[in-house]
Amino acid sequence: MVIFGASGDLTSRKLIPALYDLASQRRLPLEFAVVGLSRTEMSHEEFREKLRGALEEHRAGKFSEDVWESFSKGIFYLPGDSKKAETYKELKELLGKLDSERQTEGNRAFYLSTSPSLVSAIVENLGEAGMNDGGNGGWSRLVVEKPFGHDLKSAQDLNADIRRYFDEDQIYRIDHYLGKETVQNILALRFANGIFEPIWNQHYIDHVQITVAEDIGVGTRGAFYEEAGAMRDIVQNHVMQILCLTAMESPVAFDADSVREEKVKVLKAARRIPEDDVESCAVRGQYESGWVWGEEVEGYREEKNVDPESVTETFVALKIFVDNWRWAGVPFYIRAGKRLPKKATEIAIQFQATPHTMFSHGDTQGLEPNVLVVRVQPEEGISLKIGAKVPGQGFEVSSVNMDLLYGTAFLEEAPDAYQRLLLDMMLGDPTLFIRADEAEGAWSILDPVMRYWSENKKVSLYPAGEWGPEDADDLLEQDGRKWRRP
Amino acid sequence: MTVDQVERELGKLRMNEDGTLALRSSVLNLVVVTDEESAPEITQSISKLAGQHPSRAIVLISDPEGETNVDIGISAFCNVQGGGGTQVCAEQVTIHAEGPPAEHLESFAGPLLVPDLPVYLWYPGEFSPDSPEFSGMARLANRVILDSARSEDREQSLRRIAALLDEPEMPAIGDLQWVGLSPWRSLTADMFSFRERAEELNKLRAVEVLYAPGGECRAFLFAGWLASTLGWEAESSARDGEVRKFNFSGPTGEVSFEMSPSSPDARLRRVRFHSDDYSFQVSRHKEISDARTTIMKGDELLAERTVHLGSFDLGVMVSEELQYRGHDKAYDAALRTAVEMLDL
Repeated sequence: MVIFGASGDLTSRKLIPALYDLASQRRLPLEFAVVGLSRTEMSHEEFREKLRGALEEHRAGKFSEDVWESFSKGIFYLPGDSKKAETYKELKELLGKLDSERQTEGNRAFYLSTSPSLVSAIVENLGEAGMNDGGNGGWSRLVVEKPFGHDLKSAQDLNADIRRYFDEDQIYRIDHYLGKETVQNILALRFANGIFEPIWNQHYIDHVQITVAEDIGVGTRGAFYEEAGAMRDIVQNHVMQILCLTAMESPVAFDADSVREEKVKVLKAARRIPEDDVESCAVRGQYESGWVWGEEVEGYREEKNVDPESVTETFVALKIFVDNWRWAGVPFYIRAGKRLPKKATEIAIQFQATPHTMFSHGDTQGLEPNVLVVRVQPEEGISLKIGAKVPGQGFEVSSVNMDLLYGTAFLEEAPDAYQRLLLDMMLGDPTLFIRADEAEGAWSILDPVMRYWSENKKVSLYPAGEWGPEDADDLLEQDGRKWRRP
Repeated sequence: MTVDQVERELGKLRMNEDGTLALRSSVLNLVVVTDEESAPEITQSISKLAGQHPSRAIVLISDPEGETNVDIGISAFCNVQGGGGTQVCAEQVTIHAEGPPAEHLESFAGPLLVPDLPVYLWYPGEFSPDSPEFSGMARLANRVILDSARSEDREQSLRRIAALLDEPEMPAIGDLQWVGLSPWRSLTADMFSFRERAEELNKLRAVEVLYAPGGECRAFLFAGWLASTLGWEAESSARDGEVRKFNFSGPTGEVSFEMSPSSPDARLRRVRFHSDDYSFQVSRHKEISDARTTIMKGDELLAERTVHLGSFDLGVMVSEELQYRGHDKAYDAALRTAVEMLDL
């Protein structure tokens, strides 16, 4: 496996720890080798030492000297400029050498952990160097990190660039959210339980709320965030994937084509927001200074590498309709943002109220419609709000929340998302990766909103530690609804 | 300790012997803002609520004057079911916040609330409705529980609570003094439940209230309740030492209302109503948990009843309050009338 951008944070924080875990669990072949490539001058040994330090930090308490001893023998480093052809000549020679020394049989995985602007150049160089085919009859696969472009046009261009050299079945667009056990559990909840499917539609569901909230700010990622914003960083990928998993029909099988085909259908059915309606269907927010968990934090515009007059959104709220038989008329309210009160990713299915209440109004003061919440993080679980009689001589009915943390129902520790996805990629299973038409479908939904925002430099401010700006509340209030508190 | 860690630790408290987690059933969130001194009493009251109101309690102990420091503790109150099974009914997170974080308690409470459930905010001690901390906390709540008698200046306390009723964003307000008055209101209403005696309500000419020192909030709320319910308008007031006298104009004439403190421990000790022909009385003697009602026509005793009031400690009163969801219109009207009386 070749990692482009190997001196970066992702390699030491996520990729190498995930590979180390796989090695530790004997899921990697003995012959497996990693080649790190970046411009930083380093020897093989220096690279190994750097990774060892990172592992000791990120796998504290689980680091084994013996496993590392064996695993590190397969770690190599090549300094080079990924835009220059001679780098690929050296890379090809190194991989050939490893093929013969470690019997890697010509199988190649190229992990592009680089700036998005380098992707096309790397792909072209790999292709021109003949590395888009594995050596000695082996396979060659390309792993591309999000963001997949910065709008529909650039995503289409990027896909076209990649497909000049790699076939779709060689391309693994990675959104680590899909590698989370908890996200996969959405599929299990929906399609491994018979009780939900009959009511999972517009006949019973009033609306759906999807929340992807972070309590942290942009931190050291100010420069990146200025370019991306919440829409590109979170909504286009993570949130759209959760929308797809929530709204999709049952795939005929749990395989790449069947699952991704159904997700694409959701994206096709999602109603495009006309630019005239952006104001009433989308909210762009940005955090100001405030208090989060007892700590005073600065506003986005005071963060490092952020324009003091920036209008980049750190919060997005959207109203999306999925125009098909299952979801006609059911709004999906989506919100994602930074510096919100807590970290939480949840899907809340709000069911319709009972058609008639036989109890008196006074007896049902605390009664609200049923809500099923699928909690993805931090503590995976489901909760169900139901009406129940309050013990006593009267007949007062009130809402009770039943909360089940099912993550801990199983004693086995859930694997890290990258661990799962890297293994799937090496096994050639792209089910949990993004297909080109998925990436483009998500962009095509959001493009009109982003276009409107680029022309209308207005952003609604919210204090850090609040659930977004007031406009986000208005988005639901205009429909007679309100956000639930995650 | 982060929010995630608090949730994880609370989860562990629900862990069964086989490592799986028990289902958590809750009906409400209870957020309490208090001080170090009162915290043990509050915790004890919360533990009593567990059986009737399975909830998550967040106890915030605030000391804005201290050096910046935050300590977090968690606990659970278990209700043992038949058959040896154990079920956690209530969780408590206690946060000691000192220094500037103590002025932003909502940043601790908000993330810890159990979703989809009502939030009761309880200030067992003195409260400052003008403070940014109070408004921040009130925004989280569906109902705020106060105790008008906990203030040094109780009359001012009633005025402040009444002012909150008019704030558009303010959730429903409850007052433990009103809860404590509940059996008195109930016993009073019972005396007039027969049709013949109900007619006497329109013929009342005088009301006397004898309350224990410190019970003037209840006395005023009682007067406010009677006046707002019976359509009396407060006309004038006078003071004779510690005795307060009010004149009301009712639909059928004037009513004098006199409230005075007494010395025994019991708070509102006696209420007595006089119409042209009858006198009605509810009294609470030294046997604290019993109340006696009598109805007299001249010197003739027409009816007499003694009822057991039960325990009315802090936990019981809060438990009563937790049964209310929205605005209590009777309380709102009583409080507004009480403040009109104070302003005469």
